[in-house]
Order: sequence, then C-alpha cells, then structure tokens
Amino acid sequence: MIRTEKLCKYYSIHSRHEVHAIRDINLNISKNTFVVFNGPSGSGKTTLLNIIGALDRPTEGKVFIYDEEITSFSDIGLSRLRREKIGFIFQNFHLIPRLSSWENVSYPLIPLGISFRERFQMAKLLLEKVGLGDRLDHAPEELSGGQQQRVAIARALVNNPEIIIADEPTSNIDDETSEHLLELLKELQTDGVTILVATHDAGFEKIADEIYKIKNGRLE
Amino acid sequence: MKKHTNLLLLATENLLRHKTKSIVVSLCIIAILLPFITAIAISEGVRLQSLGSVEESADLYLTFDEFGRNAAIPLKYLDEVKEVFGVKKVVPRIIGRCYLQDKLAVIVGIDKEYLPESTTCVTGRIFENANEVVIGNELAEYFNLNIGDQFSMRGQNRKLFTIVGFFSSASNIWSASTIFMPFEDAGDLFGKREFATDIQIYSVPGHNGEIATELYYIFENEPYRLQDKGMIELYVKKGFMLKEGIFTALYTVAFALGIPAILVASGFGLSERRKEIGIMKATGWQTLEVLELISFEQLLISLFGATTAILLSIIWMKCFNGAFIAQFFIGEINLLPEFAVPAKFLPLPCLLSFFFAIILTMVGSIYSSWRASTESPVAALK
Repeated sequence: MIRTEKLCKYYSIHSRHEVHAIRDINLNISKNTFVVFNGPSGSGKTTLLNIIGALDRPTEGKVFIYDEEITSFSDIGLSRLRREKIGFIFQNFHLIPRLSSWENVSYPLIPLGISFRERFQMAKLLLEKVGLGDRLDHAPEELSGGQQQRVAIARALVNNPEIIIADEPTSNIDDETSEHLLELLKELQTDGVTILVATHDAGFEKIADEIYKIKNGRLE
Repeated sequence: MKKHTNLLLLATENLLRHKTKSIVVSLCIIAILLPFITAIAISEGVRLQSLGSVEESADLYLTFDEFGRNAAIPLKYLDEVKEVFGVKKVVPRIIGRCYLQDKLAVIVGIDKEYLPESTTCVTGRIFENANEVVIGNELAEYFNLNIGDQFSMRGQNRKLFTIVGFFSSASNIWSASTIFMPFEDAGDLFGKREFATDIQIYSVPGHNGEIATELYYIFENEPYRLQDKGMIELYVKKGFMLKEGIFTALYTVAFALGIPAILVASGFGLSERRKEIGIMKATGWQTLEVLELISFEQLLISLFGATTAILLSIIWMKCFNGAFIAQFFIGEINLLPEFAVPAKFLPLPCLLSFFFAIILTMVGSIYSSWRASTESPVAALK
C-alpha cells in the first residue's frame, strides 16, 4: 500500500550547511498494518512520516500510495490525498484555539459542503467514541493534554481515512490516556486502517506488526 | 454551492471569533472612507445646486471687462440692448458683498419681478418699496432677526433697511447669507447708481449668435464681456473639478497613511493565522478553499466597514452638516456650516468606497494567507 524508494530529505541551513534528515529510506508497508517507527529524537521519524503523509516533499526519492507516485502530485493532488486517505495525529495536537472540540473535529468537513447539522452529528459521534461526549463545546484551553489529544484523534478520523499517521502521540499525555489511545488505534486497525506511528513508547512495540528503527536518518 | 455557503458561514464566524481584530480593521476602513464618502456627497450636492441655478438663469450675461475680469457695466446701454433683435428681456443686477456686523453677506439688488423663481418667501412678503429687504433664513436665524427689524450695513453709503420677509431657496449655499433688495437700493448702498454688476439677457432660442453680433456693434469701442449659459456651466464644472482635485490630493495622502494602519491591523494574529492555515492544509483543505475563506472574510469586513461608513456619512451630514469637510467645497464657510449643506449620495461613490475597502483589506491579508497556504503544511505549522 505504501512504498518509498530512496527517500531523502536535506535541509539547508544558512545556505552553507546541509542537514540530512533522512536518507535512502526504502519501505514497503502493506494495507492494514500497524507500523511503529522507533528511534532517538532527531533521528528523522517525524520527517519520514510528514513525507509519507504528504505534508512535506522529499528532496530525493519517491513515495507511492496504492502504486501512485504521490511525490509528483501537485498541491491540489496532495491536499486531496490528505483529505481522502490520511488522518494525522500530531505530537502538539495542533488544534485551533478559538474553536470548540466539535468544531475542531468537524473543521476538515467544511470544504466538503457537509451541512452544519451533519458535521455536528459526525463530530459528536467521534468525540463520544474517544470518550469526550461531554466536552463537545469545550475550547482546547479548557481541556487537559490527554483530552486535546483525543480531540485531535477524532479529527484525524472524521474523513474515514485509510491511513492514520501519528507522530509521538503519547509524548504529551498521561499513561492512562496512552493506554486508551493504544486501544483505539488497535481497534482502528481491526477496522482496516493502516497505522503508522513514530514513538518512543514501548507499549506500541508490543502491538505493532512491524517495527522500524531509525538512526541518523537511516533505517537500521 | 454548499461548500461556498459553508465557507461564507465560517468566514462570518471567524470574524465574530476574532472580535478585536474585526473591530480594529472596521474602524480603520470607516476612518478612511467616511471623509471620502461625505466629501463626494457634498461635492455632488453642491454641483447639482450650482447647475440647477445655472439652468434657471439667463441665456446671456453682459458685463464690462477690466483686467480680464468681469466689471460693472453702465446702465446707459440698457435700452439699446433691449432693442436688439432676439432679446426677450434684460435684467440688470447688482451682486456685491457687505458686512452685516461681523458676517459677510451677499447683496443681490434686483427688481422684484425678476427674482429667481426658486426664491420664495417663507415668512413675510417680497419687498415692495425702497429700503425694504428680504433675507435668507439662515442669516435671520444667525442674528435672530424678525419681520419689521431694521438694520444697516457697512457699505459705501449708510442706509437703514427694513426686513419685510425671509426667503428660502432651492440653493442653500447662496441663500444662506443672501439679502435681496431693490436694484436701486443696492446701487445706493455701493455708491454706484448708474451701474449694474451684470445685465442678464433672456433671448429667443437660437438667437444668441445674432445678439452677440449686434452687441459687438453697440460696444464697439468698449471693453465688454458676453458669456452664455454654457460657459457659466463650464465654469461651475471646472471649479468643482479643481476643488475635487485638491480634496483628492489631500485625501490620497490620508489614504496612503491609512494603508499601513490597515496592514498593521490585518496583521494582528498573523502567526496564529499561519498555523491555522497549516492545520487546514494538513487536514485536507485546498489552497483555493483557504483563499476563498480568507476572501470571504475580507469581503464581509469590507462590506460591513463600507456600509457603516456610508451610514455614518449620512448621519454626519444630517447631524453635523458635513462639518470639517464642507469647507473644501464651499468657500468662506466655518468648520461648522450654519446652513444646510447640500449632499447627494450617489450609488457609484458608494460602490467605489466598497471597492476601496476590499482592496485595503485584501492588501493586508491575502498575500500572507496565500504564502501560508502554498507552502508545505509542515512549514506553516512550525
């Protein structure tokens, strides 16, 4: 389902120094797999997930999703891919501060032309699923870190994605919420979703189908 | 269609959510547009009154010419001019200025049967006898004058006048400080009994050319000046173009100073907005959808700002009589005019102000939004 070929990403600092975030990453991930990327901070996990998730472009190499080379997609194509196939869970949640929980969850549905009522119903269902049915109208600042992460998960699920990409999803939340998140992701996998997680959390390794170790931007 | 409706509703919600920013941007738009709309309305109002007065006036104006300017014409030519073929009526007139206490008044000396049709007495009557005058409503209010009151003015000759009526006119600007009196009294007041400042000639249609030729022979050796209605109309229009030009130049400076204010106001919360755009892009929004949302926001705030500016401009005219702005278009008036300043709100300037507001707000936001939405979501989220 997801394939990468010689994926490289370089960052240029002050046009002099080149930092190689990832190099020569070759992956082949099957549908409905739970994949964990493990490695120390700065090893390139986030960069790799951003590129696979079409949030960033590689400097070199190719990414294929369903045998389509997404690295050659236009901005519109990448947006469509993110909208239709990928759901993101960010380390810092990335919720919009002035919106309530349900508004944050339903935000991706607005340009799809879905009515207010339908959006509310969809967001409500998902927030109930992540255990926040009683926090529909709460702004992010009124929620704990774990609750914010659950809102972010609900938002990632709102488009019924085929791939969930989670970047350090448990680094800012407590153990109990981490457990709950793990269970939720596993449940999603059983529903047919492919899960890609970058994490240090040993709990994920226990349930993962595949574990990739990344060090200095390379797969080990 | 539903998508666009959703984006429009979201834009409205966003403006309400970012209240402070919306209010600041709206205030900037209002501060920039209010003087513009008011000025254009006054300019149009004054122009319409001026052209209305020209329309009502004589076909030809005959004066003497001194140093390239209009000069008083001796009345001895009056009978000769009356006899010219094609002339229906000649009306000698004296228009001068005199101080009534501290206020400069316009004196119009004209025989009562030739008073402009638009001039009607609201109280009292038109003058019948010597030393009787009718004065403009606003002047009467300013000095708290009543029918039967007597006054004198600082003319070349001291004369005592009796007020017999107050008049109103379709042209507020001129009626405000005007005093109508018999032609001979005006001649006495200015010490020029044998002169008129101009002779108005009403002609049979199509005879102006012939009349001009005849006058050439009558005034063969005299420096005279003949102007027709078209020329007067042209002067009026030219005068307004000049005044509008001066105002536009001043306003352009203010407008240019207003742009940075809008830019600063629009830039409030730019980093927050950039991150928001990054989230939108990361969750599948397309660049065009982001830009449509931002454009809707700018459109709504422009519409609100421009509409409020138009309404405030109307209120400014009704309640404050175009204070601080009318003086650009009407000479020798105070910052707070004492007469009803004419104003005409036309659709085009209102549309233009809306267009200005859109440009201002778009300049302040669309480029930064476009940049944020075209870079990778990762960069925008940093």
